[in-house]
Amino acid sequence: MSVEIKLSRSNRMFRPDELLEGKIITKLTSSISHYGIRLTVNGSVNLQVRGGSAGVIESVVGVLKPITIGKKSVEIRPSGKISSGITEIPFSLTLKQPGESKSEKFYETFHGADISIQYLLTVDVVRGYLHKSLSATLEFIIESEKAELHELPVSPELVLFYITQDTQKHPLLSELKSGGFRVSGRIPTQCSLSCALRGELTVEASALPIQSIDIHLLRVESILVGDRIVSETSLVQTTQIADGDVCRGLTLPIYVLLPRLLTCATVLAGSFSIEFKVSVVISFQSELSKLQPKSDPRTPRLWLAMETLPLELVRTR
Amino acid sequence: MQKLEDLTPEEMAVTNHRDSTKPNTMIVKFRARDYTAEAKAHFLPRIPTDLHPFSSTSSLSTKVDGVDEEENGPLDPLRAPSGRIVVPSKDNKGSLDAFKSDISDSNSVELLRREWTTFKRFLVQKFPPSRTVAISSIADLVIGSQKAYEKSSSVHLDELDDSQGSVDEDVKFITEHEYTARLTEMKNEILCAWAAGNHFKSLKLSVKVARLLRDTALLQFYPTLFTLATDILDMLGDMVWERIKRKVEYLEDGAKIRELREDFQVSDICSDAKDICHNWFCKIGSIRDLLPRIYLELAILPCWRFLVDDSADVIQRLIAMMRGLGNPLASAYCHLYLVYCVQKLPLHDNGYLVTCIRDINLMMTPIISLKETTDNRNNMSNQVLVHLMEPPMEYIIKCIFKDHQQGCTIRVGLGLARNLSELFGKCSSVSLVLHHLLKELPPEIVRSNVLHILDLIECSIGSSFDQCMNFRLLGFRLYETEAPMEMVNVVLERVIKDASQYQDLDAYLKVVDGYVDIVLQNHMKTQLEVLLGGIAERACSKWINDIELDSLQSVLTKILSHTKCLEDVLELVHLLLALHNLFAEIIDVMRGTAKNAINMRILEMATRNGYIRCPTTIQFLLEVGQSLHDGKSSSNMLDSDNQPLDRLLSRFVDMVEYGTEWERHLAFLIECRATFASADEVKETLVHHANCLVMKASKASKQLVSFGRSCLAFSEATIPSIAAPIKQLHLYLETAEVALASGLVCHSDGLIESAIRTLQSLIAEDSPTLLDVDRIVCVIQKLCGLLIMVPGNSMLGVTYIPKNLLSLVNNHSLVMPARLSVRTSCANILLLAAWSQHKLPYTPGGIKEMQVPGNDLLFFDDSSYHEELASFCGRILQNVVLAIKQETCPNARGNLALEACNCIASVIKVDDNISRICNELVEMATPCLNTNHSYFFSTSKFLVNQFRTCNNKLSLA
Repeated sequence: MSVEIKLSRSNRMFRPDELLEGKIITKLTSSISHYGIRLTVNGSVNLQVRGGSAGVIESVVGVLKPITIGKKSVEIRPSGKISSGITEIPFSLTLKQPGESKSEKFYETFHGADISIQYLLTVDVVRGYLHKSLSATLEFIIESEKAELHELPVSPELVLFYITQDTQKHPLLSELKSGGFRVSGRIPTQCSLSCALRGELTVEASALPIQSIDIHLLRVESILVGDRIVSETSLVQTTQIADGDVCRGLTLPIYVLLPRLLTCATVLAGSFSIEFKVSVVISFQSELSKLQPKSDPRTPRLWLAMETLPLELVRTR
Repeated sequence: MQKLEDLTPEEMAVTNHRDSTKPNTMIVKFRARDYTAEAKAHFLPRIPTDLHPFSSTSSLSTKVDGVDEEENGPLDPLRAPSGRIVVPSKDNKGSLDAFKSDISDSNSVELLRREWTTFKRFLVQKFPPSRTVAISSIADLVIGSQKAYEKSSSVHLDELDDSQGSVDEDVKFITEHEYTARLTEMKNEILCAWAAGNHFKSLKLSVKVARLLRDTALLQFYPTLFTLATDILDMLGDMVWERIKRKVEYLEDGAKIRELREDFQVSDICSDAKDICHNWFCKIGSIRDLLPRIYLELAILPCWRFLVDDSADVIQRLIAMMRGLGNPLASAYCHLYLVYCVQKLPLHDNGYLVTCIRDINLMMTPIISLKETTDNRNNMSNQVLVHLMEPPMEYIIKCIFKDHQQGCTIRVGLGLARNLSELFGKCSSVSLVLHHLLKELPPEIVRSNVLHILDLIECSIGSSFDQCMNFRLLGFRLYETEAPMEMVNVVLERVIKDASQYQDLDAYLKVVDGYVDIVLQNHMKTQLEVLLGGIAERACSKWINDIELDSLQSVLTKILSHTKCLEDVLELVHLLLALHNLFAEIIDVMRGTAKNAINMRILEMATRNGYIRCPTTIQFLLEVGQSLHDGKSSSNMLDSDNQPLDRLLSRFVDMVEYGTEWERHLAFLIECRATFASADEVKETLVHHANCLVMKASKASKQLVSFGRSCLAFSEATIPSIAAPIKQLHLYLETAEVALASGLVCHSDGLIESAIRTLQSLIAEDSPTLLDVDRIVCVIQKLCGLLIMVPGNSMLGVTYIPKNLLSLVNNHSLVMPARLSVRTSCANILLLAAWSQHKLPYTPGGIKEMQVPGNDLLFFDDSSYHEELASFCGRILQNVVLAIKQETCPNARGNLALEACNCIASVIKVDDNISRICNELVEMATPCLNTNHSYFFSTSKFLVNQFRTCNNKLSLA
């Protein structure tokens, strides 16, 4: 005996101004009677502050009160009976009333480390005290509505960056310091979520052979706690663009596909913000690197050189 | 049987004694024979004809036409080529073209797959892996304890990544068999996971497989690994394609809603399918490591068709991403996989191929220029690496030039050539790339860009072995394309200049090998001399190894084989003369079979086309022959192996022509005898030639008698040195005949004596089983035939020699087969009969004035001569019967008896005595042979006939 929700779209993506359509499917061994079938849409921003990041006071650590985006409950069937076997009950909900105030902003679905924005659809088949009620929950994905979308193309300007032994703020291997290296490239500061992050990179010179060049996509989640803002930077995805000692002067493409649920449009809300950064990390071949197991790439090491740039993600049409 | 009363008194005397056991001399009368009349009687009628029966315009051919067209039997070479040979009709060609255009896309994909499979097989065969394979721990993690693979925590995307990364590079060893087995296991796991619906797991395992290709410490095993891994990736790609296609074609419940066309567009695809496709690409896009990410995207490359119509951008991007692969071997094979996968897409431009070549070129440059790198690549031999990178390059270059329209190919080819030079400036194109490119370029491009190509070759980096190979290849290509003279001249000038800087004989030879054809074809003598001079310079100062020897042999063979038709013979001779010194020098330094092969070739070429007259050439060839002869005799080979050589040398001797310089020719023969001391066949030829000289000289002038003597002396001296006694005998007889013809009786006597001596030793020494009795009989018969012409010696007696012969034979009659004795006797009977005639049946020939008089002139009307003949014949007759009785085998006995009977009856008058003997013989034959036997029959008939004739004559007398 089970109930499940099936949405009309297989990718479960909807915009707030669209109708949330689908059907409720019940699989019953025998017919049951109920007091009503209820659908609830629950959108919330869940915040938590994890320990371990510098400057966070003990008292602040913990889960904060989630911010409700919208909660709506609709009864789609009054009390009655459902026959045995498989029954499909279609439904259609509006998420956001047109003309409603913009106080309830529908943020995009986001699964982050500290912040997660979720939209859940729950169905309840109320059955009274003696019987266990049937229910099911399904997460669906909200994307920004059309009116708010940016026009393509997103700012086409690419930012030039240089990575040399002089641009590094952390200590480097002596051979690197003396021999030097120079890596240049271009990367956009603004990127559309539907396209990939495209740029280029050239290793112009290097004293030591290169082991790997990686592009790290980082998210910065900031939460307002009291009057303090607690920020956490964590790694979303790593993409290697050079494996081994590449030819000098050859232009390598930077091509990073943005993962869907782990990224969203850059959000700057009052109580929280979600921002992104892109980090280019070059690791050189050295004995030391072989000794250390792979560690957090954001930690500066003697054999690493890096450059971090801010990245604004936007949703486009 | 004749009645006693009818016999004459002489005959009576004979018959009275006929039964006495004592051998009494019988009176034998030889039949008189008129040889001229007999010859006329046996003359075959001849009818003159106008047409040659073998000529093609004969009327016979028209008759045969009809038959020809009907039967498809093998072509009769003697028949006129009147019937047309069936050629494939034009219809076939047309249908082939039609068939080609009918090939749909699916067929071309099939073709592509088959070619790829063949190519993979070739890869595995070319680089057979060794027993054990060194793997780094990346691979070990995958290949080793598979079950215990821990998923990393936190974010699900990390599951696709290698948690340990490429840090740990310890090397372990497993066998290649284990590796292959493990990969097969993984393939099955992927299939099972997919079948169970667990697509993500299949992907994960495939990523692990792809990650194995990062490990290039394997070297020799890498191509095999590549074939196995790409096999698995192709499988995954097909499965993903099928899944999405199914999504388009079928509904959830399995009902088919549509059939996807071969050339579908993006608009035909429903959004659900697009979503799934997009998901796959996103999942693959999230793989951290570059190499597996590229390989996986290539594996599902055809699925881009569901999302975009034109995938040119995708291909460009993938090629650009490949530049991030620092390992040249991994990069080269990744390019190879890209080229294969892109060909699965329906429409694609070929510019990407050029980009691939350029990129591989770039990767190879640092390897070939011997810079040391600090990672563990410096442990590998760079040459092994380059060798391993060749197949991908070949494949890609082949793809550039396959099934293209002419214009497109030229454009691409030109573009490539230009690009290479632009990209690399003057001096850094990789010779290996150039080599493969040069192999595949169409001939027009080679011709039109030859100077540019020369520039590239000259400046190409890399060890010089590649450069000389490239020069060589250019030479071959020019020869194929039949380049004009000016171009050839220019090219040769440059090539010779460049090659002259090579110290190494091997490299120089390779270059020469490439150009010798074109030089010969265009009759460029000076260049040939320069090239050969270069070889001589480099060859003569050192020991040549086997490879160089082979190259040298091939170059010289080419030069020698150049003459194809008669007109070129003179040229060859001139060439040989001009190059004689060079040749001699070069051949001197060669050794062994190569040298022999060249020398034999020279001799073959020289003797093929007619007489050799030029003294220098003769001298040269004699030296060549000498070296061959010495070479053969120094190695312990069986006689049978020397036959081709001996034949060749004989032929050489045959072909030498001195015209009327008799003395010179004889001197040559003498020299040959000294040079080819152990070649019997050659010595035979020499004897023949000496005899021939005698005949020619004597015909030319009477004053050359003394010359004739020296020739005969030469023959006399040479014959004993020939090993086979039978051959000696034949030669003796031949020489004796020649001597007779020239009127040199003492020589002929001496020769006949030597022959008999040889015969004696032959019969006496050899055991009867080894002896070739029939050949000896043959010789004896021939001797008897010769003796007819020999004037008898009145001091020793006319029958001196036949008596010797008979006693020689009869002395050993107990051990020898009977036929030896019988046939010798018969031969002697015939000889005596011929001697008894008024005119001998034949004369030695030669000039009439020089001829020796035969017995018919010497003993004309000499009754004692005739008596001697008759009495000797009688003695023979008596012995014949006894001799025949010695024969044990009845059949043979019967035959011998009949033979003897025939012989006697044909030359001796069949009177009573004779007839008695003949009847005795016939009686001897009767129990042995079937009375119906034709020989028996004819013999008895003949006998009766002869008897009757003789009796008629008697009665008339």
